[in-house]
Amino acid sequence: MVSNARKSSWVAALAMSLGMAGAAALAAELPPVPEALKKAGVLKVGVKCDYPPDGFLDNQGKPQGIEVNLAKQIAANAFGDAAKTELTCVTAANRVPMLVGGKVDMLIATLGISEERAKVIDFSEPYAWGGSDIVVPKDSKIKKLADLKGKTVIVLKGAWQIGWFESNMPEVKLLKLDNVSDGLQALLQGRGDGYAHDHAILVGLAKNNPRTRLVGELYQIGFRGVGFRKGDTALREYVNAAIKKAYADGHVAKWVKQYVEPDLQPVTIETWNIALAPKS
Amino acid sequence: MSYQFDFAYIWANGPALLGGLLMTIQVSVVSILIAAGVGLVGAAARVLRVPVLSPLIVGYVSFVRNTPLLAQLFFIFFGLPAVGLGLSIYASGVLTLAVWGGAYNVENVRGGFLAVPKGLNEAARALGLGPMHYVFLIAIPVGLRVSIPAMLNTAVSVLKNSAYLQAIGLAELTFVAMEKVASEFRTLEMFASIGVLYLGLVLTLSWLVRRLEDVLQRPFRER
Repeated sequence: MVSNARKSSWVAALAMSLGMAGAAALAAELPPVPEALKKAGVLKVGVKCDYPPDGFLDNQGKPQGIEVNLAKQIAANAFGDAAKTELTCVTAANRVPMLVGGKVDMLIATLGISEERAKVIDFSEPYAWGGSDIVVPKDSKIKKLADLKGKTVIVLKGAWQIGWFESNMPEVKLLKLDNVSDGLQALLQGRGDGYAHDHAILVGLAKNNPRTRLVGELYQIGFRGVGFRKGDTALREYVNAAIKKAYADGHVAKWVKQYVEPDLQPVTIETWNIALAPKS
Repeated sequence: MSYQFDFAYIWANGPALLGGLLMTIQVSVVSILIAAGVGLVGAAARVLRVPVLSPLIVGYVSFVRNTPLLAQLFFIFFGLPAVGLGLSIYASGVLTLAVWGGAYNVENVRGGFLAVPKGLNEAARALGLGPMHYVFLIAIPVGLRVSIPAMLNTAVSVLKNSAYLQAIGLAELTFVAMEKVASEFRTLEMFASIGVLYLGLVLTLSWLVRRLEDVLQRPFRER
C-alpha cells in the first residue's frame, strides 16, 4: 500500500506536469516574438483617435477603443505587459506614410485592405469587415446613393471612399478634408450634401447628432487588416496569431461590450466576425 | 526596404501639381493685393489718429499678430457660419490671408510713414496742405518706398501661408501634394517637388518686387 505522503506527492507531480503541458500548449499557439520587436522592447502602433468605438481619445486625452485594446493585447502577449505600447494618433491621410517612414511599426487604424495599399504595405489576415455609408442633414432630399449625382460629397483625404466615388460616381464633386470632426462640421454648415465614410463611424455620428441622418445604403464592403511595412513577415505572422488568440479568448467580444452602446452592440459584433461578411 | 525616388511619378502628376500651383498663385496674389490695401488704409488711419478707427486698428493688429494663423482660418471657415456669415472655401481662404497680411502691412506701412522726415510734414502744413493731401502727395510717395522691403516680406509670408488653406479643402499646391500622398504614398517625391515649386514662386515674387523698387527709385536717382 502506498503511503499518504507518497500519494500526495505523486498527485502533485501529476498536477504540475499537466499544468505545464497545458501552459506549453497555450504558449505554442503563438509563434516566437520577432527579434526586432524584442530588441525594440515596445510595440509602436498607429491608431485612430477620432473614430469611436475603435480608436478615440478619452477625457484624459489617452487613446481608448476596441482597436487600441487589440494593440495593447498584442503587447501583453509579446512582453507580458500591456503598457509596453507606444500609441501614435494617425489619420487616414497620414497613416501609411507614418508606417512606411518608420514612425510606427504597425497600423491598427481601421485600415481597409485594398490592392493599391497592398503595393506599398503588407496586411495581416482580415480581422473585421464593414461597408461605407453616407450621412446627410436630417431634412435632406437625398434618400439613396443615386440622389448624390452632381452633388458635393465630403470625404476624408486618404479614405477609400474617394476611389469608390471616382470609379463608380465620377459626376459627384468631392470635398476632401482632414478628419472626422471637420467633415461633420462642414456637412452641418451645408458645405456638402453628404459626408461619406465607413458605416461603423457614421452610425455613431448620426446617433449623436440629431441634425443628421444615415442614408443606410451600404456600398464598398471591405475588410480591415493590420498594416505592416513590406517584408516584415515575422511581425505579421506573430500578429496574425495574436489576433486569432484575442478572438479565441473572448477578448474581442468583451471590448465590443466595453466600448459600444448596448443597442449598437449586435451590429458591431457582427462586423468583428469575418464569417458574417456579405459575399459581394 | 529601400525607397526609390521616382522622377517619372512627379512628371506624371505634373498637371495636378500645375493646377494646384495656379490656385496658390491666384489665392496669394489676390490676398497680397487686398492686404496691401488694408495696410495702407490702416496705417493712414493710425498716423492721422482718426478717432474711433485708430484704437480699433491697434486691437486688430495686436489680435492677428498674437494668434495662430490656423486658428484664425478655422474661426473664419467653421466659426463664422455659426453667426450667419457662411463663406465659400476660396472666400474664406482669401479673407483669412488678407486679414493676416493686412495686420502686418499696417505696421509695415506705418513704419514707412513715420520715416518720412518731419520737416516735410511741417512744410506741407506751412503751404496750407490738408491731412489728406499730405497723405496722398507726400507720405505715400515717400513713405511707401521705405516700406516696400517689409511689404515684400509680408507678401512672401502670405504666399507660404497659403499652404494652410489645404486644411479647409482649397485645392492649392500643398493640398494636391497631401492628397496624392494620402492615396499613393510617395511622400518624398511630392514634398520635394512642391518645395521646389514654392521656392520658385518666392524667388519670382522677390524678383518682381525688386523690379518694382527699381522703378519707384528712378525719380530719386535722376537728380
